[in-house]
Amino acid sequence: MSQRKTLLPFATILALSVAAQAFASSPATVKVTPSVIEMGTFYGGAKVRVEGTVPSGSKVVVIVRGEEVTELFNRVGRVGPIWINTGKISVSGVPSLLLLFSSEPISNCLCRRAMDDCLGDADAIKKQIQIKPREKAASSVAEDFLKLKVRQGNYQMSGGGVQIGGATQALDGTASLAMASEAVQNPPLEGGAVPYSLEFTWPKSAAVGTYEIRVHACRDGEVQESSVVPLKVVEIGFPAMITSLARSHASAYGIVSIIIAMLAGFGIDFIASRIFKKKIAAH
Amino acid sequence: MPVLLPVAGISISLLWLVGAGAVVGFLSGLFGVGGGFLLTPILMMMGIPPTVAAASDSCQIVATSSSGTAAHFRLGNVDAKLGTVLLLGGLTGGAVGVHIIKFLRSIGSADLVITIAYVVVLGSIGGYMFWESLSNLRRGVMVPMTHAAAKRGGYLSRLPFQMDFPRSRVRHSVILPFLFCGMVGILAAIMGVGGGFIMVPMMVYLLRMPMHVAVGTDLFQILFTCAGVTYMQATTNHTVDLVLALLLAAGSTVGAQVGARVGRLLHGDQLKILLASIVLLVMVKMAIGLLTAPSILIIPMKGH
Repeated sequence: MSQRKTLLPFATILALSVAAQAFASSPATVKVTPSVIEMGTFYGGAKVRVEGTVPSGSKVVVIVRGEEVTELFNRVGRVGPIWINTGKISVSGVPSLLLLFSSEPISNCLCRRAMDDCLGDADAIKKQIQIKPREKAASSVAEDFLKLKVRQGNYQMSGGGVQIGGATQALDGTASLAMASEAVQNPPLEGGAVPYSLEFTWPKSAAVGTYEIRVHACRDGEVQESSVVPLKVVEIGFPAMITSLARSHASAYGIVSIIIAMLAGFGIDFIASRIFKKKIAAH
Repeated sequence: MPVLLPVAGISISLLWLVGAGAVVGFLSGLFGVGGGFLLTPILMMMGIPPTVAAASDSCQIVATSSSGTAAHFRLGNVDAKLGTVLLLGGLTGGAVGVHIIKFLRSIGSADLVITIAYVVVLGSIGGYMFWESLSNLRRGVMVPMTHAAAKRGGYLSRLPFQMDFPRSRVRHSVILPFLFCGMVGILAAIMGVGGGFIMVPMMVYLLRMPMHVAVGTDLFQILFTCAGVTYMQATTNHTVDLVLALLLAAGSTVGAQVGARVGRLLHGDQLKILLASIVLLVMVKMAIGLLTAPSILIIPMKGH
């Protein structure tokens, strides 16, 4: 009996370390389809699928980020009774595109510090944003910047959308119940990993460039595992040719644009004059 | 059907672009205005970056004004001689206006001056045109815009370099249209628009040109002005999106043809009342915008 009592703590420690090892031995994996979004002449947006595995029991946060760029804005203010531009500001330090997805509400997945590290919510962005020139009302500028980005479709910060296994994760109080039932419905794969998946519509307003898709496996509010893959957005075919011409041979492009526009105008006039003439003749 | 705008880098419904072009082209053909003051904000609302919207708009105006100029030329409404003088005056005024803007920016008053210029100029022109045309229509009298009116100019008729402009049925010193158009060019540069809706009333009221000839001649000078702007935007800012311009032009060139022909069906004063109404509507919208707090207090900057 006493021997059993002595062994119990050791057994517990052993079980915990095995569990911890199992968690650590199954890193988060990620596969993005397509890995390159090709924008041809009739490109109308794309569906992006993110899938992979995370250690069993993890909550999943997927963050899609664009490069950090400096953006210029006119600041609107009140002068007497009228609202006019009162100055210029530059905003930097935050990504051009930021889409957040998660298996549960993001506040359930990440603690405050982790949220700040991952740019997981509006407060995190407000802490990181740099506004020049510095002004007293910087927080209201940051607020307006976020509103503008959301309106443009370049920022999406509501979370949700990630499915663990086959079960849909709701963003209300049922999320944890779903997680509990998921263990039964979707038993861990080899090495203690469970599959996750996310499908979302790529924003049409996102520019050509390289984006980063980062998957975080979270537990107890901390990021335990992360995996990153790039997603390229490129123009192909006719649009690529036009863009290249506009940048590399600007003078020729300008002249060709004017000639084509004039020919289009005179051409339409020629056709219209024939049509109207025929109508008049018919009358 | 979506279509990718390569320079803008975004995808937009083809029908929306052609439709927007058709509406603005119709107004262009009807009133001889370039339509920039309407189309650029519409494109920005569709999500096109302001720099690309403004530059591509200039390119599509080349197409629209080509179509409109050709249609008006066939109808005998283009005074190429006077149009050339106006063009030279407009370009000179535009260059002066750009320097004025630079100075105002350096002292931080540019935006205030531009905004007030918009409301005052649009309000004055629109209000006067509306009132004058309405009075004429009520009286049932068509005021002839001919030699008789021009001859009343007194000392203006004694200015040097007098020249006949037979198509417009007026005689003026070359200095007069050059100066007037120079002033419109300055205003257009300050206000950041082509200036068609200032130019047409100026031709009708100050140069005493018939409304239809003013419309045709304005389109003629807009064609060359916008061709120059397109070239400069393409070489300096690389923001001309040819696909966007051609799709807009597909609608606007047809719209301009219809507009030019509808214009022939309307009395000169009726045309003036319609143009005045649009000018006043834009002015009222601007005035409301000035007096009400916007929901977002930052605006992405135009690159020109």
